Amino acid sequence: MNTLTDRYVHAATRTVHERQRTELDRELRERIGDAVDARVESGEMPADAELAALTELGDPERLAAGYLDRPLHLIGPRYYLDWLRLVKVLLAIVVPIATGAVIFARLIGGGTAGEAIVDGLATGISVTVNLAFWVTLVFAIVERTPGRTSALSRWTPAQLPELPKSRQVSRADLILSIVFLVIGIVAIVWQQFTVPYPGGVTFPVLDPELWSFWLPYLIAVLLAEIVFVSLLYRNRHWNWWFAAVNIVLNAAFAIPVVWLASTGQLFNPELFEQVGPDADVVRTVLTNLVVSATVVIAIWDSVDGVIKAWRATRGGFGEAE
Amino acid sequence: MRLLHYCVSHSIVSGMSMDDTTASHLQELRRGTVVLGCLMRLRTPDYGYALLESLNGIGITVDANTLYPLLRRLEKQGLLTSEWNTDEARPRKFYSTSATGEQLAAVLTADWHLIDQALTRLTTGDER
Repeated sequence: MNTLTDRYVHAATRTVHERQRTELDRELRERIGDAVDARVESGEMPADAELAALTELGDPERLAAGYLDRPLHLIGPRYYLDWLRLVKVLLAIVVPIATGAVIFARLIGGGTAGEAIVDGLATGISVTVNLAFWVTLVFAIVERTPGRTSALSRWTPAQLPELPKSRQVSRADLILSIVFLVIGIVAIVWQQFTVPYPGGVTFPVLDPELWSFWLPYLIAVLLAEIVFVSLLYRNRHWNWWFAAVNIVLNAAFAIPVVWLASTGQLFNPELFEQVGPDADVVRTVLTNLVVSATVVIAIWDSVDGVIKAWRATRGGFGEAE
Repeated sequence: MRLLHYCVSHSIVSGMSMDDTTASHLQELRRGTVVLGCLMRLRTPDYGYALLESLNGIGITVDANTLYPLLRRLEKQGLLTSEWNTDEARPRKFYSTSATGEQLAAVLTADWHLIDQALTRLTTGDER
């Protein structure tokens, strides 16, 4: 006749370890029995009393969790902040790198820009989902592992973020950017004359034919970037316009360089003739190096601009970096 | 002064019909007293439902969904011991306060008196 009680006890104890099951089974039957008896004594019909008593007990899984001190959350307050920080850091680092790497691999593998972007975004989404899932899974397991009573990491005042600076773009940023850009321009000109090779001969590193258009174009882009960083310094803060122009300038420099390098037009053919039998290997290594460095720097710099613009618009610029 | 007046009048109003805030604060305030009540009451062994009845009977309000898991937790902490009584048709788990539980009860009771004295001083304005 106690079918409802039997079903309830079964539902509450089925996920409990064998050792504890019998004990919990008995305890629940005692509790339900006493509650039903009390209701019957006060004049309820037995069937109604059982129904009411079980309703009062509530969800059997919740009841079992209460008896066994099981967490009813995936990640509790003890580990939540550790989890949140780790997920943020991993997503911020791994997703852009993976996305950029796939786009880059697709481009040098001969894909179109459209294919490269679609593949890159698909990878980005899949990496995001995977990272979030696996990190959460590990933390959920840690949450259910007995023995720890404190958070994984201790907070110290050293982790406090800096107060917002009145200027987001420092003078040091400006000088550093201009120095690098000038070095870039000088290097493009200098490589024509001054890279020595055994035998006292000098060869230009880049194909001299590029002087007809591409090298002057790249120098012009670098000059435009000098103007850009100067305007940025004058404006004191990033904004969405600066972030957009920054992306355009990066693309204007990186895309031609990647294209020239991967189609074999960037380097001076005579240079490789000097190398001898390993010329193809050297050419491949050099090409891959230039292409990957260009892509990584361009993506990094573009993302950096977007993040800084985002911080500036929410008024939190100057946070610890 | 206006704030104080607001608080006082608000608490008088809510005294008549208990709102959620009051209920949750009351529950918070009483949580520890249930533990103390159990430890003192179980100097003579008893089972869950009888304990529930007698605690509520003497004015320590607690509901079954709080009390049963609490008994288990106190037993796990070594503050209570338990024994199954199978003399009657329904086997019942009888809990009783252990020596450790007795010590804790003494500490809690002492603290309870300190808090009571402190609150009395606050009420009478005699803040020494």
